[in-house]
Amino acid sequence: MSGQATAIEREERRLARWLVAPALVFILLGSLVPIAATAWEALHGHDLRLPWLGRPFVGLANFVEAIGDPRFTSALLHTVGFAAITVPLELGLGLALALIMHTARRGRALIRLAALLPWAIPTVVAALVWRFMFDAQAGIITAPLRTLALVGESFDWFVHPLAAWVPIGAADIWKTTPFVAILLLAGLQTIDPALHEAAQMDGAGAVRRFGTITLPLLRPALVVAAAFRMLDALRLFDVAYVMTGGGPGTATEPLSLYAFIALMQRLRFGYGSALSVTVFLLTFAFALIWVRTLGRSLVGDRT
Amino acid sequence: MKCSVRLWLVVVLVAAWATACGERNGTTRLTFSGSALGPEAVVLRRQLLRFGERHPGIEVELRVTPDAADQRHQLYVQWLNARAPDPDVLQLDVIWTAEFAGAGWILPLDPFALDADDFVPAALAASRWRGRLYAVPWFVDVGLLYWRTDLLAAPPRSLSELREAARRLRNAGTTRFGLVWQGARYEGLTTVFLEHLGAFGGGILDAQGRVTVDEPAAIRALTFMCDAVSLDGFVPSSVLTWQEEQTRFAFQNGDAAFMRNWPYAWGLLQDGARSQVANRFAVAPFPAEAEGRPTAALGGAQLAVNAWSANPALAWALVRFLTAPEQMLERARLATQLPSRRSLYDTAELTEALPIPIEQVRQMLDAAVPRPVTPVYSELSEILQVRLHRALSGQQTPEAALREAAREIRALLARSGLASEEETP
Repeated sequence: MSGQATAIEREERRLARWLVAPALVFILLGSLVPIAATAWEALHGHDLRLPWLGRPFVGLANFVEAIGDPRFTSALLHTVGFAAITVPLELGLGLALALIMHTARRGRALIRLAALLPWAIPTVVAALVWRFMFDAQAGIITAPLRTLALVGESFDWFVHPLAAWVPIGAADIWKTTPFVAILLLAGLQTIDPALHEAAQMDGAGAVRRFGTITLPLLRPALVVAAAFRMLDALRLFDVAYVMTGGGPGTATEPLSLYAFIALMQRLRFGYGSALSVTVFLLTFAFALIWVRTLGRSLVGDRT
Repeated sequence: MKCSVRLWLVVVLVAAWATACGERNGTTRLTFSGSALGPEAVVLRRQLLRFGERHPGIEVELRVTPDAADQRHQLYVQWLNARAPDPDVLQLDVIWTAEFAGAGWILPLDPFALDADDFVPAALAASRWRGRLYAVPWFVDVGLLYWRTDLLAAPPRSLSELREAARRLRNAGTTRFGLVWQGARYEGLTTVFLEHLGAFGGGILDAQGRVTVDEPAAIRALTFMCDAVSLDGFVPSSVLTWQEEQTRFAFQNGDAAFMRNWPYAWGLLQDGARSQVANRFAVAPFPAEAEGRPTAALGGAQLAVNAWSANPALAWALVRFLTAPEQMLERARLATQLPSRRSLYDTAELTEALPIPIEQVRQMLDAAVPRPVTPVYSELSEILQVRLHRALSGQQTPEAALREAAREIRALLARSGLASEEETP
């Protein structure tokens, strides 16, 4: 009996391998090979504009240059700072939105539709619209502030190195909060309403119930939402590219934008690849740590 | 009957295919790549057709490339780096010629006899690399100062006069802004800086290729620009996000007393239906201080031959045809692009063809200065743009910004093996 079962099992395993193979080939060709090729390119001195220098193997020289490059270090700081500020805001706002969607009795479909709308708009379009709203001359955000004399006559968001982050952050938060909200809404719906009813019987108020029932049980969804958002924020590119181009100077230039400039504008393939690899390593390291620490504690909570 | 129709169709298709296959049938195909937008496209198609008529057996295919300079540049680099034999003839921005020549991607043109003396000297200088000619100037563009004839009797003769007039008109509320220029972090900012630099007698690189952008004249030039934005305020700080079109809108709406821009704006500003300042403005060279000279940044396009072209002689014939006086005049008439041949400026045809008074255009051409001619120009310019933008937005002093820019440019030249003898570490 058991011998026959193993034969079937073996057969099934072989079939499984064949079924998985196409997907593996695609992953290999579609992501592993390009990543490896970029990493290999990053170890070479290669400037498309200077063919007379050839393409010598330079080891880690490109990475060493990056560490000594102030534009790289400030881009790194911008990226990490942006993620550290926007992601908690998105989580907070997303949670509020999810609670509203979850508890709404009337017009649920309409509320959900309205909440999701920003997520459905292409990022570049959203960024352009936000840029118009923050425009110094006629923007609907800047004009009233000027009328109220809260900002000076010559104030321009995109000329001030710190203020220029506000439109970028606003566009990003507006655009991605719905995504967080939907993930958290799914989490909220898995919480058994009986728990809330029981707590209510015992006289627990809304705040108490939120703190002791909703939040702990929502943790898996929160961890996942935070991971997705962090990974996206660490790769910040399109919003900054469209709204400020990294300016004024390079005050709003994230790492991905600098890598893009090094690669596609300066055509320094070696150095640009090294910067891209750094972005990859940064997100990869974050994902690894996140999964190792929070992911494990999640599993631990359940067992 | 039906069958014979089909047969004919097949015959026609085969014939069409065979002719399309070029050389096998005795026709030689040349490819040309450049910008073909609006009136430029009309002129170009017309001229390529005429070239085909004059050279039976040659067919010129127009390969349209993106109008955005950066994107076209990227495409060219990809093609030439892969040693693609086409396009045979390339339209290059004046700032690319040295780069493509240094890389060995375009042919030196000295073997072909060109009447080089006839061309605008600044444009010719931008076509040379290490003493050899690599491209032929096709049309030129120069930076101009637009000023309002209803507000002033004469254009300012120095930068100080410009500042006084701009400040007075703005403070009196006559116009919202004094002067507007292109201050966004892009190539336009480098050209504006170059004109200020010339006005104070400074430069980016000297004749030996040494970096001079951190010398006192350059610091004075950038200080003037920074003060104009923040201290005197006659240049609005929003120019730091403006390119050509935003400055044109401001001037066209009557919001600015002065504007630095290219000749293309002239025709649009004269359009009474959209412009508030039609017939109320004129152009002048960007003025200089006593220690410098009026400077106009040189723009425009040049024609070059792909180093891997299968038919360099024919490609040259096309270049010579397109840069002949007759074609330049037609281009000036239909697309308002300034000819690069000096002799044309004495002709009645050009006087008629150009909307801008020809005497004023001649003055600008005399003031034209090429941007640094080096294979690493675009990276050099990008370094400058970042530093200029930092200084203009108050993140760095002009002095520190230029010192850093000079240091980075020196490192760039050293890394590229292009540093002048004295600066090689």
